[in-house]
Amino acid sequence: MKQVSNTRKFWQFFWRSWAIQCSWNYERQMDMGFLYGIAPTLDRCYPDESDPVQVERKKEAYRRHMAFYNCTPQTSAFTLGLAASMEEEYAENPDSMNPETINAVKTSLMGPLSGVGDSFFQGTIRVIAFGLGVSLAQQGSILGPILAMLISIIPSVLVTWFGGKIGYTMGSKYLNKLQGGLMDQVMFVCGIVGLMVVGGMVSSMIGLTTPITFVSTGLVLQDVLNTILPCMLDLGIAVGLYALIKKNVSTTMLLVICIAAGIVFNALHIFA
Amino acid sequence: MLTKAIILGLIGVFCILDSRMLGRLNFERPLITCTLVGIVLGDLQTGLAVGASMELISLGLVTIGGAVPPDMCMAAIITSGFTIMTSASMETALGLAMPIAVLGQFIGVVGRTVLGSLTHVADKAIEENKFKKATSMHIVWGTIIYSLLYFVPIFLAVYAGTDVVEAIVRFIPAWLTDGLNLATKFLTAYGLALLMSIMLNKKMTVYFLLGFFLVGYLGLNITAIAIFATILAFILNSMKSVPAVSGGASAADDYDPLEDDL
Repeated sequence: MKQVSNTRKFWQFFWRSWAIQCSWNYERQMDMGFLYGIAPTLDRCYPDESDPVQVERKKEAYRRHMAFYNCTPQTSAFTLGLAASMEEEYAENPDSMNPETINAVKTSLMGPLSGVGDSFFQGTIRVIAFGLGVSLAQQGSILGPILAMLISIIPSVLVTWFGGKIGYTMGSKYLNKLQGGLMDQVMFVCGIVGLMVVGGMVSSMIGLTTPITFVSTGLVLQDVLNTILPCMLDLGIAVGLYALIKKNVSTTMLLVICIAAGIVFNALHIFA
Repeated sequence: MLTKAIILGLIGVFCILDSRMLGRLNFERPLITCTLVGIVLGDLQTGLAVGASMELISLGLVTIGGAVPPDMCMAAIITSGFTIMTSASMETALGLAMPIAVLGQFIGVVGRTVLGSLTHVADKAIEENKFKKATSMHIVWGTIIYSLLYFVPIFLAVYAGTDVVEAIVRFIPAWLTDGLNLATKFLTAYGLALLMSIMLNKKMTVYFLLGFFLVGYLGLNITAIAIFATILAFILNSMKSVPAVSGGASAADDYDPLEDDL
């Protein structure tokens, strides 16, 4: 394995976490972004291009990190650091772990980390920063946008830098423990947090409503639905699309369905 | 006009690359981009004023007709450009910019689908041991495609000028823009469904529903959900019996006197 200083690694985690969305796509979202992040680590783990065994293992690792991934860039640095330390460990002692564990860790972390990351950066920080910025800008002060950017940038830099650093150092320290029962516990905890956050996002982020009213009785259908079960339509549409994904309907097809459904249901005044 | 169109297009590129390459530092926000437009077009005060109004609209403090419009970042650049370069009021300029931004957003959806095919190119490159080519799909080609998705609509709108844009906007029927607006909700649902398809299984479905109902009935926000979920998960975890065989040392560390009572 090629050795470089930890500082250099931390910088790579930092910049490459920020750049994770360059190829965000509907098929596997940040798959190539994560691969781009971990590529320097993999290249260091398997440096010898002429050794067929190393090339084969490198290919295996590259393939592994092309899996579906999606996470807030700042908090994703933690996962990147952790995954990098696991890859290094696996490259040194191939018998010490099942490489599937690496992707299992990524998958179980992305839910909780995106939930917390998005609501922190896009919910809290952005609203504070731009709430202040707007009030200054309305008075004609250039300080408005400058202040808004400072409030946005500082937490972002800190979380990304320390996320990558802590993920990496914690990884190599606790890795052996993680191999035992602790790993199952971490995945259990992360699985619950991730799913609860996704469940919460389904009811708060989609915002699908119906404008249907019954003129004769003055009944507003949306009010009726709200008394039965708030966000019923959001749950319905998410579960419906989930079922279609599980049936292996292709990504392109699903996107076409979403856009066509938007135009049709809007024209028929069924949803808004 | 050509130079101005190019400059505003480049501000658009900066705006999209903020979330692509800088982890979304908020340079993309209307307050920032409108200020930049104001600076390069030599009218900082108008830039700030338009930026502040556009930011308020997209922060959700003020809503237009109940629906938060889609790509406010792109709309903000075109609006501030039009407001400064013509004598149009901000409202008129926004009325012209919005349909462009809705269409721009939908070119974006198509773009994100096309980017899915880069994934297949990268897969193939890895099989052929072309590792550099695989990562360049992300950092080079992804970046170029996203930049174009922002540059082209803004450039065309500004270069064509308000008269042509007005004619085009009159030509775009309302059922299309409104329909595309509704489609963004379905697309959000699709994104969440993708996450569900990775994480959900029979045993875990209850937790998904728990999160859903906590927000639906109690109106908790996502941070609150994450906190309660973590606490709940730790409680459930400590209630599960610790497996005795695996990771001998850690099992002993986790010895829990309560277990004797079970």
